[in-house]
Amino acid sequence: MSTVQHSPVPAGTDPAPAAVPPENRGDWSLSWHGITTVATLELRQRVRSTRWKIALVVWFVVVGGITLLTSGALTVWAGGGLLGENGPVIFGAVVFFVLFLGLLVAPTLSASAINGDRNAGTLATLQVTLLTAAEIVVGKLAAAWSAALAFLVVSIPFIAWALVAGGVSFLSLVTTILLLAVLLAVVCAIGLGFSALTTKTSGSAVLTYLTVAGLTVVSLILFGLTTPLVTYPTEIRTWAVAEDHDWEGDEDPTCEWQTTEMPQTHTELTWWLLAVNPFVIVADAAPEPTVRDDEYFSASDPLSMIRTGVRAARTGPQPEQDWCGAYEPGYVSPVDDPELDDSPVWPWGLGANLLLGAGGVVLAVRRLRIPVAKLPRGTRVA
Amino acid sequence: MTSTGAPQGDPADHRPPGQADPPATPAAPRPAPDASVPPGSDAAPGGIVAQGVRRAFGTVRAVDHVDLVARPGRVTALVGPNGSGKTTLLLILAGLLAPDAGSVRVAGLDPVTQSFATRARTGWMPDAFGTWDSLTAREVLTTFAAAYRLSAAAGAARAAELLALVHLEEYADRPASVLSRGQKQRLGLARALVHDPDVLLLDEPASGLDPRSRVDLRVLVRELAARGKTVLISSHVLTELDEMADDAVFLSRGRTVASESVGEAATTRRTWRVRALDPSPLHAWLTGAGVVFAVEPDGAALVDLDSDTSAAALLRDAVVAGVPVVASAPAGGILEQAYLALEEERR
Repeated sequence: MSTVQHSPVPAGTDPAPAAVPPENRGDWSLSWHGITTVATLELRQRVRSTRWKIALVVWFVVVGGITLLTSGALTVWAGGGLLGENGPVIFGAVVFFVLFLGLLVAPTLSASAINGDRNAGTLATLQVTLLTAAEIVVGKLAAAWSAALAFLVVSIPFIAWALVAGGVSFLSLVTTILLLAVLLAVVCAIGLGFSALTTKTSGSAVLTYLTVAGLTVVSLILFGLTTPLVTYPTEIRTWAVAEDHDWEGDEDPTCEWQTTEMPQTHTELTWWLLAVNPFVIVADAAPEPTVRDDEYFSASDPLSMIRTGVRAARTGPQPEQDWCGAYEPGYVSPVDDPELDDSPVWPWGLGANLLLGAGGVVLAVRRLRIPVAKLPRGTRVA
Repeated sequence: MTSTGAPQGDPADHRPPGQADPPATPAAPRPAPDASVPPGSDAAPGGIVAQGVRRAFGTVRAVDHVDLVARPGRVTALVGPNGSGKTTLLLILAGLLAPDAGSVRVAGLDPVTQSFATRARTGWMPDAFGTWDSLTAREVLTTFAAAYRLSAAAGAARAAELLALVHLEEYADRPASVLSRGQKQRLGLARALVHDPDVLLLDEPASGLDPRSRVDLRVLVRELAARGKTVLISSHVLTELDEMADDAVFLSRGRTVASESVGEAATTRRTWRVRALDPSPLHAWLTGAGVVFAVEPDGAALVDLDSDTSAAALLRDAVVAGVPVVASAPAGGILEQAYLALEEERR
């Protein structure tokens, strides 16, 4: 066939200028159509080119195994095996494990989304279409996030297992899963930002992992290491035995109010280092368990302990302290019980994380705008 | 070779040398050897007009000073050695790169300030067409149809139409990764046509194509031009461009070194290759007639002639003198000779 019968233009179209969409859409305009086009493309590509089924099965088995082992170990340690007491502990352990694995997996889902396409030569061909830069980025984020959510969905049976074990409200389950989903989206968005920033996919993956490590581990270490820096002499009121009390004499020691200058650790200055931690966010946001296994202390499941800890850190040292102590039964301390700042910490942490994620998205959109005026070193347009 | 290779049945391809205007050219402009037409001259609102375009990457001046006019209804060849800035220029015209200086109008629009509207009317085919390996050829096209905001039904119809156009129907539902280089190249061309653009920018579209596909490409390009599209095509295969292009723009080291009409080449000096059954009578006759010539290994004579008319006269005289001439044809294509002549000048 040396002749071409097929018309290169759709039937009925005039060879005159094609119908141009009238509206002029900027880099930041978003449309459902555009986002789903990109997300569908990404997911199709991902679902067909990766061993996602195997990955999900492995994930299911690993999370299931951990859940089983945790329940088993607790039953042995707790002796009687009262499930009702172990529910919150199992819940905390499984949720943390899922979050841990999620933070490991999420960067791989998005950290090569943009530079990988650029290297494969497919990005520029998308950029010249009528998709806006924001649609490409948000579509890619949606695809990476849905993939991450698939892992979360597979874990739901095990998170729900704690519900069966008792002591955990249904509300805890819902809020925690929602929060996990949001945190995974944040990590995906950070990965996307780095993939727009670096040329090599390995570079963006490393940077994303470093950021996740910074949020989870480095922030914790920094919190510990900065305690000497925030420990300085502070004036506090103490209820203590009078200084001139004659310990040799027969008189019973009496307590009185004193003003003392003592080194105090002011964690209220550094609590935010804990607050940005995804684990802390999840723990702090989880509602209190419905049962308490100990009347005296607050609950001892991991989530509650972290919640208490971070809120104590935020409260800082007590301005009034009782040094006389409860020597005898019936002793009533004039110092009020330490009052914890009970306002939730997680909105701050979540806000900081969302800002990071939004930063990743904004960076990616800015890097995908065309025409490119200044090309970063080492990158190619097409 | 040149005009002998023209396929039958394509009205747009019957262009005797010296008469380069295809029938569909609106306002049939005279071939302008001088490309410095002021941009935005209201006579022809479409097409591509670039003036004084520059683009540097760091200290490398990829495009130094390019003036280019490509008119609707014509095929313009972009010719130049490797690294002469062809691909960078096409990236600028496609709206991917902003020029450092100079003005660009594509389909009458500025790709920098009117990016969206320009993109809607420009089809760009990159030299290396990356593809999503796990998508089928049909899905690649429907995805792009969706990206150009066509409805799903319209996109599916358009994809089927284009797959037929580039003869990829039998591969339509196989993953793009099994396609050969040439087939991918054809898919890339179909992709650039999805939204029926007014301006087509083709970067080395013929590379990797088999002879059959090259003929198809040529026919398709001519047909698009006949429909009033502006086609700018870069290629290293100059003989290929000879048969496709109406105009040519020569780039060297990021600068426009010449712009000319391909038809015009018929009246410019070039080398003809004359071959006879027996070389000796030919050589004897040429020497006798006082024609300066060079001899090729097979005995053919290379003669510099100033026009097609001279070539015809030479052939007639030789035949009348009883020289057993077998063939007389330009040695190399029109563009090739023009290109080599430019290279020569630069040395």
